[in-house]
Amino acid sequence: MIIKSVDCQTISNIVYDVVIVGSGVAGAIVAKQLSEQGKTVLILEAGTSEGLTLEGYQNNIETFYGALNKNSNSPYPLNPNALSPTDNTYGYFQEKGVLPLSGSYTRIVGGTTRHWEGKTIRMLPEDFKLRTNYGHGLDWPISYDDLMPYYRKAEYEIGVAGDTEEQKEAGAEFIDGYVLPMKKLPPSFLDGIVRKGIDQIEEVTIGKENPETIKLKLSTFPQGRNSIPHPDYQRPGYTDDQLIKDNFIPEGVASVHPVEYGERCQGNANCVPICPVQAKYDARRTLSTIAFPEKVHLLSQAVATQVDINPENGRVTAINYKQYKNISSSEYTVGTARGRLFVLAANAVENAKLMLASNLPSTSGMMGCNLMDHPYLLSWALLPTTKIAGTLRGPQVTSGLSTFRKGDFRKEQCAFAMSIHNDGWGWSGTGATDILQDAVDKKHKYGAELRNELITRISQQLLLDFMCELPANSSNRVTVDPQYKDQLGNYRPVIHYNVPDYCKKTMAYARKLSLQIFESLGAKDYSHYDKSDPAYFEYENEGYFFRGGNHFAGTHVMGTTKNNSVVDRNLRSWDHENLYLVGGGSMPSIGSSNTTLTLAALSFLASEQMLRDLKA
Amino acid sequence: MDIDTPDLMEYFLNFSAAVTGFSRFDLLGTGQASLYFSTIEGIIGGEIFRELLQTFHELYVRANSENDASILTEGITDEILMSGKLGPIASNIIKLWYSATWYQLPDPWREKFGARQNDTSFVVSPYAYPEGLLWQAIGVNPPGAKAPGYASWQYPPSVRLTSPKN
Ligand SMILES: Cc1cc2nc3c(=O)[nH]c(=O)nc-3n(C[C@H](O)[C@H](O)[C@H](O)COP(=O)(O)OP(=O)(O)OC[C@H]3O[C@@H](n4cnc5c(N)ncnc54)[C@H](O)[C@@H]3O)c2cc1C
Ligand code: SF4
Repeated sequence: MIIKSVDCQTISNIVYDVVIVGSGVAGAIVAKQLSEQGKTVLILEAGTSEGLTLEGYQNNIETFYGALNKNSNSPYPLNPNALSPTDNTYGYFQEKGVLPLSGSYTRIVGGTTRHWEGKTIRMLPEDFKLRTNYGHGLDWPISYDDLMPYYRKAEYEIGVAGDTEEQKEAGAEFIDGYVLPMKKLPPSFLDGIVRKGIDQIEEVTIGKENPETIKLKLSTFPQGRNSIPHPDYQRPGYTDDQLIKDNFIPEGVASVHPVEYGERCQGNANCVPICPVQAKYDARRTLSTIAFPEKVHLLSQAVATQVDINPENGRVTAINYKQYKNISSSEYTVGTARGRLFVLAANAVENAKLMLASNLPSTSGMMGCNLMDHPYLLSWALLPTTKIAGTLRGPQVTSGLSTFRKGDFRKEQCAFAMSIHNDGWGWSGTGATDILQDAVDKKHKYGAELRNELITRISQQLLLDFMCELPANSSNRVTVDPQYKDQLGNYRPVIHYNVPDYCKKTMAYARKLSLQIFESLGAKDYSHYDKSDPAYFEYENEGYFFRGGNHFAGTHVMGTTKNNSVVDRNLRSWDHENLYLVGGGSMPSIGSSNTTLTLAALSFLASEQMLRDLKA
Repeated sequence: MDIDTPDLMEYFLNFSAAVTGFSRFDLLGTGQASLYFSTIEGIIGGEIFRELLQTFHELYVRANSENDASILTEGITDEILMSGKLGPIASNIIKLWYSATWYQLPDPWREKFGARQNDTSFVVSPYAYPEGLLWQAIGVNPPGAKAPGYASWQYPPSVRLTSPKN
């Protein structure tokens, strides 16, 4: 059963219990939780909704097959009425420097999880007190322990495959008896090759003032993709620490509709931008498993443009939207959505933009400030041909180093996690087809020689990424400016962004570490950080570039008072008591974890408070 | 059918087999041969396409009759790949088989031999993409299609380097 698509006419006559802006993972979880308690829900979605049907999904795959540039938004037709940033390709972000934020998200039903990679890592307990522990960024008003029950709910909803013991070693805590719903995805053959090199290095030191010794050990990453259900899994119960024995069945795999809801991961090696067999979680899965779908209305192609408030008490009275007819015309009609509660779930950048466009900067003035992301340093090499590595097989990443996620060095330089890319050098800008073009056009290779050349230069590729923590800083921000609008007259995000020495120091460290790993593998370094790259920077006389991490956060940060934050510990706006801002924007720090699992957990936490509000 | 018309499709397959390093069997197995043939002809025109295939065919016949493979290998390099006129087209045909993509011919070629109206970079058809030989050449599935199966990625790859003389 699928949630009900409605038109403007229908919604103009209804006052919903909850109006949600955005059908991504954050909005979908709230819709599911509230509708299951009998509440009526309206979702306003800026993008198109054809991906909700199998036929529409197949169209997206076909669009991807036919795309010349297979970038992260290539399965989804360009929509000028609700543009999506795509690594600066279409100029949606108005980047003001100092360095580019870059990155992408997808404005389409299901949101950015449609093309996410699917790593689902918990933050570590110490990440929640970044300021207190290490003197950087901000603290959370809640602790890891407070979030634990909601992490378990998020892991159930997303269907996380991973090794709980490895996560414990990395520093995450779990209650006794708990394992992740599915077993870890097997490490790749390439991981095995890299493991040998890493084992030879054994340990390294980090930090200058109080050098620490860190033992290197590869481990797998938890992922939101279907593997083999864990026989010992117990799902969250009805009270916080209760666990209930559960035969976890990944959605679709054993059902009568696997093609519609997802099969077991088959190694299509295409998690970003689209998994052809839906083995990877995306928010459509949450939308399509809502128990009472008739309670949830979806208005797609409706871009929320303005939040109206009652100036006397600050309560939100309505959300205005523009609904366009189709993506090839800028014709639109305006409408108003009414409800008792309002939830912005349009992602960190769009939530802040919508509030600022509505002239609601919050008492603290922090709306849009503290924009965070994970800058990634990349380092790439070719492995010796004595053993063919067979790069470009399997999920994009299966293993990496989680050993630098914690430690006292975080006073001096940021934490990081390293990933081994099964998908080769693509992210550095040199994909498999670039190698093909070079071999044929420049080196005039053909026949058997060409085939050997391709094996030598593609199957032996090793790309390591180093995902660095960026602490909150109020000058990194999203703003709006009437100069910069899209064709519907809606604001485009204006971005101010920089990366501090605290991170650059780690990127320089990571680069040296990668060279050490390459050396122990006998791999030849091919990394080249071109000066003309917009994300080029120098640190201690060496040049580097970074890549945007797509983990936008911090723009409506949660805190302890209305003067130090935008939302409270339940993600409710301090200024508007019937308004919630969910998603990464509420996170005061992001640690060295991709943000989605944490923001999904926060959506569960916020939903509980919404239900309490609706009862009152 | 005019018996004097050389069977250009035959020449095309023989030429493609020689430059891609894949057998005619592999090439036909992609199901894309006639689509590629008509795409190339549609872009560069019949005359120049025929010139390329004739040049190849003559080398091919000579190599066979004199039983000397080097006539073909040297000829492909000297008379085709290094030719200002035929070289870029030959390269494009290799890339077409490997990636289902027609790449716009290089500017110097377009200036000298005339820009063709349909000569832009594009994937010739969505379902040609999974048939690209690049993926077979490196022993992987085309990203997003023909999945090899759960956990297949933990095993050694199927490809190995061959001695070029084979
Ligand atoms: C290439 C890539 C790889 C990633 N990999 C990972 C990963 O491995 N692990 C991880 O944890 N995270 C990853 N992420 C990040 C992850 O995708 C996001 O954290 C997550 O999707 C955010 O969920 P959300 O619901 O808050 O926002 P989104 O998923 O962005 O959804 C927001 C929704 O709101 C809609 N919307 C926006 N503006 C409006 C408006 N004005 N009116 C109405 N609707 C609107 C959008 O159309 C969209 O449907 C990745 C992201 C990218 C781009
Ligand atoms: S590896 Fe393939 S099957 Fe598995 S999630 Fe990624 S795209 Fe889907």
